[in-house]
Amino acid sequence: MSDFKERNVQCILEILKKKNPATTKEIMAMRDLFPDLCAGCSSGGDVILAVKQLVEEGIVQRKWMAEEGFEWKLLSDPAK
Amino acid sequence: MVVWSRIRKDFPVLNELYEGKSLIYFDSACMALKPVQVWEAMEYYYKYLGACGGAGRSTHSLGIETSLLTEEARQKLASFINAKSSNEIVWTRNATEGLNIVAATLPIKKDENVVTTSLEHHSGMLPFFKKCQETGSELRIVNAKPDGTFDLTDFEEKIDDKTKIVSFVHASNLTGTIAPLEYIVKIAHEHGAWVVSDEAQYAPHNKLDVRKLDVDFSVLSVHKACGPTGVGVLYGKYELLEKLGMFLVGGDVIEDVVYKDGKIIPKYLPPPHKFEAGLQNYGGMLGAGAAVDYLQKIGMDNIHKREQTFSRRLLEGVLELEKFEVLGPLDYKQRAALVSFRPKSGSMNHNDVTEYFNEMLPHNKILMRSGNMCVHPFQYQIGMSPAQGDGVTRASLYIYNTMEEIEIFLTALENFAKAID
Repeated sequence: MSDFKERNVQCILEILKKKNPATTKEIMAMRDLFPDLCAGCSSGGDVILAVKQLVEEGIVQRKWMAEEGFEWKLLSDPAK
Repeated sequence: MVVWSRIRKDFPVLNELYEGKSLIYFDSACMALKPVQVWEAMEYYYKYLGACGGAGRSTHSLGIETSLLTEEARQKLASFINAKSSNEIVWTRNATEGLNIVAATLPIKKDENVVTTSLEHHSGMLPFFKKCQETGSELRIVNAKPDGTFDLTDFEEKIDDKTKIVSFVHASNLTGTIAPLEYIVKIAHEHGAWVVSDEAQYAPHNKLDVRKLDVDFSVLSVHKACGPTGVGVLYGKYELLEKLGMFLVGGDVIEDVVYKDGKIIPKYLPPPHKFEAGLQNYGGMLGAGAAVDYLQKIGMDNIHKREQTFSRRLLEGVLELEKFEVLGPLDYKQRAALVSFRPKSGSMNHNDVTEYFNEMLPHNKILMRSGNMCVHPFQYQIGMSPAQGDGVTRASLYIYNTMEEIEIFLTALENFAKAID
């Protein structure tokens, strides 16, 4: 995994440790809390790719919430 | 008569299921799909040639054929935009590189200025921003109107006899707005300024005649015109390409490098070779030639006419729902075949909208792009904040799309609007 992508994965994990579950909009808003980890364009495409990877790995669960969009829930902390 | 259903068959990815669903590809403004004819042309290079091309490099049989075919492809690109000569066509990696070449090599004095607009793709603005920072010259920004149309009054106020070049986007990748190129060129030339037009979104969809328009430089991304990735073109009037300085230097751009009295004295080749340093993407060039052959066989007028019909339905269909804000003019005739939109209400991030259409439909995957489309300044101008997560979803069309796909999308969008209401 590239350092860039790895940092974005860490970014998502740190955000979800602070607020779990969180919507995409909430995740985007909380990127500022971890400026060293949350990299990429402000449009957030890199963050989405990172969180989708965590879903594929079974670490994060995704739920469609209609008017609030997607909600992302951290199921287990891979560091533990 | 064009048999559009046959055209679609040239794009195998559209005829396959992906994760069990039919693909509706609405992301051609980012990257057009590639017809079989393009990758066959590239395959020919990789399978049967695979050698060096370029100005007098390898003179063996494979080298000669590579050079001949790539020069033939250069001629095809010249014909595609009606350039006077293939010597006015510089191979680049993409439109971005073409704009960087013009900006970096532009002979500009400190008391001169560059005029651009707030609607530029970052690639049309930042190379000139950087150049002006380095030279101390001024960058003047013409504010697009709130609907994304070109502000002629502001333009005439910003340009003056000290303007060296005007850089503007012919068809916006965000709002779809078509700029009045002929008028811009006329005013610019009255002030003695050069004009560079970003044709990345215009040329794949419309007949571009650089001679008729009298534009000085134009840039294209061939990958948005059914061509291979990593291939673009910089067009420049020959006498102006001669006036530009050097960009990348090294092999293939020199006639000689004399070493005399401990000093290096390079003598550079004339355009277009002076801008094509090092070994090139020969397979890509052949693919590019095949791509413009393919488009011209269909006919640019036919493409434009069909896209106008589709574009109208797409735009009006999104507007009819009254749930989405559409960026850009509301008259389809003023637009390219793309619609950037976002929900008028709700707290949803734009990435969720795009992801919904990618993942949540039962039978289709509708592939669009979300974000800010590398046009952040205009979005800040109209009160959006990319930094705060504001953005849009963009649906963009091309030759392989069908009216049925647009109807499937509009039905899905209507259901989506009800779900988030």
